[in-house]
Amino acid sequence: MTNDKKTLTDQVPSIYPVKTKIQVTIIFFVVLAMYLTSMIWTQSQMAGGFTGALGNMFNVMKNFFPPNPEVISAVIGPMLETIQMAIIATTVAAILTVPLALLAARNVTTFKPLYYITRTFLNILRTIPDLVLAVIFVGLFGIGLFPGILALIIFSLGILAKLISETIESVDMDPMEAMRASGGNVFQTISYALIPQVLPQYVSLVLYVFEINIRASVVLGLVGAGGIGLILNQQLQFYNYPNAMMIIIIIFVVVIVIEYISTKIREALI
Amino acid sequence: MIQFKDVGLVYPNGTVGLKNVNLTINDGEFVVIVGLSGAGKSTLIRSINRLVTPTSGELYVDNEDILKYRGKDLRKLRTKTGMIFQNYNLVKRSSVLKNVLAGRLGHTGTLRSIFNAYKKEDVALAYESLKRVNIADKIYNRADELSGGQQQRVSIARVLTQQPKYILADEPVASLDPPTSHQVMKYLKKINKEDNLTTIVNLHFIDMAMEYADRIVGMRAGEIVFDGPVSEVTEKTFEEIYGRSIREEDFRGGSEES
Repeated sequence: MTNDKKTLTDQVPSIYPVKTKIQVTIIFFVVLAMYLTSMIWTQSQMAGGFTGALGNMFNVMKNFFPPNPEVISAVIGPMLETIQMAIIATTVAAILTVPLALLAARNVTTFKPLYYITRTFLNILRTIPDLVLAVIFVGLFGIGLFPGILALIIFSLGILAKLISETIESVDMDPMEAMRASGGNVFQTISYALIPQVLPQYVSLVLYVFEINIRASVVLGLVGAGGIGLILNQQLQFYNYPNAMMIIIIIFVVVIVIEYISTKIREALI
Repeated sequence: MIQFKDVGLVYPNGTVGLKNVNLTINDGEFVVIVGLSGAGKSTLIRSINRLVTPTSGELYVDNEDILKYRGKDLRKLRTKTGMIFQNYNLVKRSSVLKNVLAGRLGHTGTLRSIFNAYKKEDVALAYESLKRVNIADKIYNRADELSGGQQQRVSIARVLTQQPKYILADEPVASLDPPTSHQVMKYLKKINKEDNLTTIVNLHFIDMAMEYADRIVGMRAGEIVFDGPVSEVTEKTFEEIYGRSIREEDFRGGSEES
């Protein structure tokens, strides 16, 4: 018996293959080196920055308080504009996403070239920052809501189509086979076997992108793409810090309320 | 009538699915195809509705070579051949009724089906089919709320609603327990007799094949190694088909309870 045990422990294999162990070790050191280099780099850039920042912070904050409540009535309009921008942009993006997401899902688009073209197109969309899009569209169409909406549509299309195509790829393919076997065409197969499976995730992701759009549309206003961001930028440029503070508080409240509502809806869905 | 003439199928990765298959299935027959897993039973059955496409030979359904079918012809063929799957293949989040109505897809226009604007007769037919498999009280339940046996009955109702000429059942009882297996096979047999639907069932359980088949076709390594009425079949035949001695796991056992 004891002999058996001894031979057993002699032959115990390690839990991971040696190759994996070496790979993981190398990756660990590479990542560690990256951390160290970036720490050294940024610190040299910020040398002497922190103490100055702390001193300035008090002076800056002093200017912002107390917030000026009189601007509330004047600011409600642009705030609603910002929300509307997000609603319109999210809706248009949610509609345009459907065909793009289907074309970018490997299990639906079996024709490889079309799949790769759509994937690449979506990847390019996502590499353009929303702020750059807004600057370009403001240059093309002038200051206002329209360029902001366009920028948001393209920005959210990139995220939505990517996330939804991945949801589609993880779907149970058996029912689709059954629809095909009963003589259904492509559209019938998609609407009967695919849509019921992805609908909850689709709604949830659209709401999530809507949240992102509310925040993004504030930032876009800063470069002239309309809404509350535009007003905030003006007030900051005129050094009306108490007004700016009030606007920031309003944005804060609105974003929190909308996020709360959309989180509740998403919880109910999944 | 379904006729295989020298049908062969080689998958893109080189696996041989079917080899020189010659087989004629007459209208109204209840044929059980037996063989170990990997013997080509699935490939054979899926060739008939072209879920897989044989690479050589000719395959006639109602005297038309279906191997050249594409697009519309193919959908028409599939409308004519209803299929039952091992994993039921229902849309789990959809209601039972909606799943059963999916059997009408081949008969219904795209817009009509996408907007759920089914003809009254189609809905009546779906309801009637559910009644035939005794599950009409569950029409608004989500499919994943049902037990395995109930789900398989819903998938039988889906095939009935399709009003096919042929039923292809690919291991319909492999995921079920013995009593429900017998129940499902009894429904298939009943439909075969009442509607005179040609039924082809893949099974690997010897006792079930013997109990329900009119005719047994044995397959091994993509070839047909036996074909004859059930009266000619003994355990010896199965040993020849399987190429090994019979074991306990080759029997489903049990019988239908209630």
